[in-house]
Amino acid sequence: MFRKFRALAGVGAVIALATSLTACATGTAPNAGTSATASGSAPSGGSAPVANGVAQVTVTLTADGGDTCTADFLTAPAGPVTFTVQNVDSSAITEVELQSELKILGERENLAPGLPAAGFTVTLDGGQYTLYCLGATPETQTFTVTGQAAAAPTGSTATLLNAGSKEYGTWVTGQAEEMKIAVANLKAAVDSGDLAKAQAAYVQARPFYEKIESDVEGFVMPGFAVDDNQGNLDYLIDMRASNLDEKVGWSGFHAVERDLWKAAKISAATKKYAADLDSNVTKLVDVVKTLTFKPEDLANGAAALLEEVQSGKITGEEEEFSHIDLMDFAANVEGARQAFAYLQPGLDKIDAALVTQVVTEFGNVDAALSKLRDKASPGGYIPWTEENRDTYARQLSQAVLALQQPMQKIAEKVATAQ
Amino acid sequence: MTEDSTPSAADATPNPGSAPSGSGLSRRRLIAGGAGVAVAGAAVGAGVTAGMMSSGAGQSSPTPSGATDVVDLNRSVAFYDQVNQAGIRTPPQRHCVYMTFLLTKGATRADLQVLLARWSAAIAQMVQGKTIGPVQPARPDAVGIDTGEADGLAPASLTVTVGLGPGVFDDRFGLAAKRPALLEDLPRIPGDVLQPGLTGGDLSLQACADDPQVAYHAVRNLARMVTRTAQTHWVVLGFGRASAGPGQETPRNLMGFKDGTRNVSTDADYDRFVWLKDAGWMTGGTYQVARKIMMTIETWDFDRISDQQRIFGRTKDEGAPLSGTKEFDTPDFALTMDGSPAIDPSSHIALAAPENNSGVKILRRPYNFTDGLNARGLLDAGLLFLSYQNDPQHFIDLQSKLGRFDLLNEYIRHIGSAIFAIPPAPRTGEYIGKALFA
Repeated sequence: MFRKFRALAGVGAVIALATSLTACATGTAPNAGTSATASGSAPSGGSAPVANGVAQVTVTLTADGGDTCTADFLTAPAGPVTFTVQNVDSSAITEVELQSELKILGERENLAPGLPAAGFTVTLDGGQYTLYCLGATPETQTFTVTGQAAAAPTGSTATLLNAGSKEYGTWVTGQAEEMKIAVANLKAAVDSGDLAKAQAAYVQARPFYEKIESDVEGFVMPGFAVDDNQGNLDYLIDMRASNLDEKVGWSGFHAVERDLWKAAKISAATKKYAADLDSNVTKLVDVVKTLTFKPEDLANGAAALLEEVQSGKITGEEEEFSHIDLMDFAANVEGARQAFAYLQPGLDKIDAALVTQVVTEFGNVDAALSKLRDKASPGGYIPWTEENRDTYARQLSQAVLALQQPMQKIAEKVATAQ
Repeated sequence: MTEDSTPSAADATPNPGSAPSGSGLSRRRLIAGGAGVAVAGAAVGAGVTAGMMSSGAGQSSPTPSGATDVVDLNRSVAFYDQVNQAGIRTPPQRHCVYMTFLLTKGATRADLQVLLARWSAAIAQMVQGKTIGPVQPARPDAVGIDTGEADGLAPASLTVTVGLGPGVFDDRFGLAAKRPALLEDLPRIPGDVLQPGLTGGDLSLQACADDPQVAYHAVRNLARMVTRTAQTHWVVLGFGRASAGPGQETPRNLMGFKDGTRNVSTDADYDRFVWLKDAGWMTGGTYQVARKIMMTIETWDFDRISDQQRIFGRTKDEGAPLSGTKEFDTPDFALTMDGSPAIDPSSHIALAAPENNSGVKILRRPYNFTDGLNARGLLDAGLLFLSYQNDPQHFIDLQSKLGRFDLLNEYIRHIGSAIFAIPPAPRTGEYIGKALFA
């Protein structure tokens, strides 16, 4: 829940008519340079085979003596590469990403044993990338692409920042579209009346909003006053018990959450909540597609997501009934990391030391959070109950605080870049 | 917080000697705080604080032009024979201890009567800078009546305002017929995340003074004399007054913004919005709302200045509305700049302004507070919001709107809440609430 309002003509991201962009296909990845990553289990030697002009890599997730993420090839020629992910029997690994520096170029989430293989395709230039398998040991492996490296980014700092901001917009749209699919699944699961299935679908649907909530904060639908929550998409989608507006009533994710966990029952009202959520998320996705971002929007958005972590997640306010706050925490941090990563090429030219600080502190936050992983719990982290908060909240808060400090300096720097 | 409550240029004008009400009864006497206790340096500057009758003798140095916001620890505020209890229109002192109490299970009507009488007598002593009894009794086995930590300190404009909660008027004390007409527990208000341990109470004490030790001493001694009848419930230690009386410079809350620029200040507004009229034994009284508001301080401090100003609707330095240039410029909520409203419609001042609330104003008398660090190692601090109004619905309506739409909600949490009826002031020889037992 992010409660700041953004009037349509207000500050922040400027509304413009933009074409819809597809989710996974990223543009040219910048030169990845060196990624400090651990090496994974030994794959087959050689380079991934190319079929129909696309290199084919299969990633297999298994739980034989520890959760492992194995790619049949860790090298591919430059050009399009398809990663096909099959989860054989690992309940711990739920997400596979291909990253360049911190940027996610392609990803699959909600991987679970028994589901059909899922894939994503990215177009890669020569260089080093990171195959990231959340929950695996090790989590990261170096993926090498041979051939022509992308030209080092050129142009003024402002040009780099603007290009990164545009790419970030593509990423946001992709997340929104994933959210739409996941929410449709949630609606179907609720409609089926199967409580366990609906709970699982709720958990799977949550991270997308949390990654991009700073970009869609308080969107007021045309024709509604700012003091009418009936037209406030953020309220309708992500209101919490604490800010319940009796004039509008319960709505959105947390209304569904309350029913699924507190009442532990699916009623006609739950189905109505899920249907309304589905409809409102569809509206939101249409809005998101029209957004364009300025570099300072990315920086401010990243800072706002960390605020959310500090004030809404670590406190356990967000997921009052399901206690999956730490999954939301991870999603907020991921959203902040992506915004930062898209600014990084430009920011490197302005203040490389600051970039280093931010990267270091992101690492510290990740380390603090990863200690609280629990594959047996919904969302992959220990339930964020009062007892667990009493024990662990302090270290998380302090780690986030240390990240907020350098992060707050970015907006001013990128907004004034030449 | 900076709920704009009064579009009045009078705030800017030092208004020395203004009486606390339109009545001739409002004579305030300056009583020397114990013989010869004018501690050197205690008078932080010298001069006039509006609303207080300053003694000529107390002003040893000339008042610098414009230096209206000074503390003279020798000032005292009259307790008896006023129309209204002190601590409401009294220019806000620098410090405040606010405590609520629960009446004990065995407490009787007579116990309550004795409590109010003893509190009144003790308050009358303490506001003069006196102890309430021996600090060092003559008999070796005796226990001191007064705890002693304010012995020798000046009155420091101490006021102690006594409030009666809804519980006083339930069936325990036979006072249901005397229940003030509008005294009900506050309803749930959007945005509330109230903690039971910080909510409600049967009695309240608001002790304000320019010396924190004087305020603390007052509450400590009042609490210890009634332990069989009333138990402490929750307490907030307020510092750095976050509201201004006439002639005082507008102070700042912990968010760094001026708070109270448009507060209630004129006689007409006090009569219209604060004091109860034709209200039987409560005539001259009012209703007190207390809210403990936690701020997410670190997060606020990391927010960029343009966003902070948008949230409040004012500039940080000058405190000017974003539609103007000076603090006391009247906000223009219709003004647009580059196609957007100059003052965001969801900003704190836009939502709270009387112009946007059927003209309603409430008197705010808040203080900043800190409870040190929370369990996460973050600053535990915020605003002790105290408001006075002759109709609690005015507060409820305002806060219901703020709770739903205020941009500031991202950075604050309402964690404590209570409401009390504030009876009128007693006459000499009588006590607060005496009419209840007639």
